[in-house]
Amino acid sequence: MHRALDRWFTDEILVHEEALLRYLRQACPTLEEAHDLRQDIYTRVYEAAGNALPTQPKAFLFATARNLLADRARRAKVVSIEPMGDFEPSLVLIDDVSPERWCGGRQALKHLAEAFDRLPDRCREVVWLRRVEELSQKDVAARLGITEKTVEKHIAKGMRLLADHWFGGHASAEKHTAVRDQRDERRHAD
Amino acid sequence: MNAGTRTEIEQRAAQWLAQRDGEAWSDADEAALQAWLAADVAHRVAFLRLEAAWQQGERLQALGAGWKHSGPPPRGHWQAPPETRREQLLQALERTQAPPSGVRRSRMTRVLAVAAMLVCIVSAGLGWHAYTRVDSVSLSTRLGAIETQSLGDGSQATLASDSALDVHLSRRERRVELLRGEAIFDVAKDPGRPFVVDAGARQIVAVGTRFSVRRDAGELRVVVTEGTVRLQSADGAADQPSSLLPAGSVARIEGGNELVRSMAVADAEQLLEWRDGLLFFHNTSLRDAVAEFNRYNTRKIVVADARAAELRVGGHFRWDNVDAFVRLLERGFPVRAEIDDQRIVLRSP
Repeated sequence: MHRALDRWFTDEILVHEEALLRYLRQACPTLEEAHDLRQDIYTRVYEAAGNALPTQPKAFLFATARNLLADRARRAKVVSIEPMGDFEPSLVLIDDVSPERWCGGRQALKHLAEAFDRLPDRCREVVWLRRVEELSQKDVAARLGITEKTVEKHIAKGMRLLADHWFGGHASAEKHTAVRDQRDERRHAD
Repeated sequence: MNAGTRTEIEQRAAQWLAQRDGEAWSDADEAALQAWLAADVAHRVAFLRLEAAWQQGERLQALGAGWKHSGPPPRGHWQAPPETRREQLLQALERTQAPPSGVRRSRMTRVLAVAAMLVCIVSAGLGWHAYTRVDSVSLSTRLGAIETQSLGDGSQATLASDSALDVHLSRRERRVELLRGEAIFDVAKDPGRPFVVDAGARQIVAVGTRFSVRRDAGELRVVVTEGTVRLQSADGAADQPSSLLPAGSVARIEGGNELVRSMAVADAEQLLEWRDGLLFFHNTSLRDAVAEFNRYNTRKIVVADARAAELRVGGHFRWDNVDAFVRLLERGFPVRAEIDDQRIVLRSP
């Protein structure tokens, strides 16, 4: 029952993540904060779409974002530094063709290569063996001489970083992922 | 958000997906996952996002094509300019030189897999080898696929949907035979080795430039977006004069007739937008626009009557989004669509 809605969400909403993050970054001092808002926005959009599917997904996404930012500014009770500034959602809506990376062309592959190359070494290796050489997690573990549990952890991490790089594109600054990598690395250093 | 912080939720979602990706996934696990997803919409959206990213990872296989070693290529492999891409050259050679017998191929692979230094030496040797002999490779794409391939001389060919070509590189010339479909060529400059595309009755000769050639039954189209190419008859026969096509030229050859149009380079480039997944129409008959979509999709559009076929359409469309195209047509034109899984029939009301 969820399948259709899930697909709609992936195809019509997630594709705009880079633009959304760029928009949120205008009002958020840190990328972490922008990602937190992003998650709240997704939740609201998904909930609303469960009742009635918006006919203009991208416009709906940015309207939700704008409302959330406005709420937040009201709550903060500080004079915000122009949460909207000169960055009106209408400007975001100009690129009416959905992001090219989703078209499956040359650009998409280039973008994917970049996202993949930004993974930490071990993680990159595990993702490659699992995704390209299609070894099972067990075989990846055997190949690299690590436990299956560790392979699983690398996959979980690879997935999150790929998502940030892939959806967030250039709006996800290097700094952010570097910090996150260190944190993850520490956790995996077991 | 009382169901945990965003980071916690994302970590949990990633754990679920990684676990499901493993071998030990049970029905009980599936039930537990469904319960977790149902518990909070925040869980579900985080899960969907990571799942989509992981699915995109499958496309890494396209990047892996040609990389014959185990484990990932070094970082920046895909960004490196073609001329410094030693690996690329090695791949090309490996692909083309390995004879059908598996024996030499595996030995070749082993040789290449030794130490990095050895690889350098070997590649220098092979590079010279490439220069003195003819290397051949066949490239093709399925319906709906677009692929960019390096040709081993630094040039690149982007094949449109359902296209095929053979590449022969030798010391004196670079020769490409376009068997069917369309390809854009980004030709690396090499004055000593002309780049020749054979397309049935015609040849297109370039030195360092960018152009595309499309071969359909009975018709040939050449679009030049950079530099100059020469269009001549296949065997250089004297009965057909050759023409020089500067950037911005669009030549159509049908039978013995040749029609060359000059346009702004930017306009010519729009004809090659299929490379980025787009089709561009400007005052194009619906008949032609539909034919364009049908090049890329298995579900074909059929125009049922002449009146509909003569409608003029314009705009940018994603070639993989036939539905949007049809929807817009219905909205803006006197056309009705009958849609089923196999095909879409357009007719005048």
